[in-house]
Amino acid sequence: MAELDDIIHQPLRLRIMAALNALPPGAGLEFARLKKLTGATDGNLGAHIETLSKAGYVAVEKAFVGKKPQTTVSATAAGRAAFARHVAMLQEIIAASGR
Amino acid sequence: MIDREQASAALDDINEMVQRVRQSRIYQISSVVIIMWGVVLVLAYIANYTWPRQGYTVWTVANLTGLVISVAIGVITNARSGIQPFPIRSLLTFVLIGAFGVFCSVVLGHFGSRQIITFWALYGMLFYAIAGLWFGYAFIVIALCTSALTLIGYYYIGAAFLLWMAVVHGGGLVLGGLWMRRSS
Repeated sequence: MAELDDIIHQPLRLRIMAALNALPPGAGLEFARLKKLTGATDGNLGAHIETLSKAGYVAVEKAFVGKKPQTTVSATAAGRAAFARHVAMLQEIIAASGR
Repeated sequence: MIDREQASAALDDINEMVQRVRQSRIYQISSVVIIMWGVVLVLAYIANYTWPRQGYTVWTVANLTGLVISVAIGVITNARSGIQPFPIRSLLTFVLIGAFGVFCSVVLGHFGSRQIITFWALYGMLFYAIAGLWFGYAFIVIALCTSALTLIGYYYIGAAFLLWMAVVHGGGLVLGGLWMRRSS
């Protein structure tokens, strides 16, 4: 049996990836909305996005909207594939324990 | 390795996030449409109050304007996000709802202007409440508050009924839409 993806499996990172994966490919979420959706604090969310970004699972885009800086996070193709594998693994664990 | 309960909890977490994102996106798109309709209604009520004999023209223009802008918002949102907010079945649903409303208010019921305005406000809010059962409680709150204030206006507000409706129906939709944007 394949191993679970440790980067994704951490609870907050799992929520971040689930939220981003629910969007159409290429679409992203602003930091503030992602914070609201996941219920994370600024620092915590930033740290976990950094981890996901280093793994190549999310892309972070910083831009200015008017005079305000805006950070948008989106799932990369690699991130989506890793998330799909992770979900399949979770389903496999449930199915295997039910046999 | 994790056990069945942990795996199941992780999947529940994922499903909850998907639901939250879905609701957030519906609120984002709907709030723009709701605010726009609120503005159109405020203008239409004031125009109808100012030119009472032009009610038919005012409301025809207002409804067509609202419909065209709603479709435009749908098309733009679709092009930007790849999500189709107004699939053909939804569009047909709105057409059927509208046609039934016209049939009731024009053919079956011989309503006066006060009744017809109250009917359409309550009829519209009924579908907001129904939408709320699927897409989130904000729709239900908007529907209940607007319906209650519409009925208060119908029974207790005299000559200024149209101005009352501009505030509670049009203004209510604008406030409701802004609230949805905040909570999305």
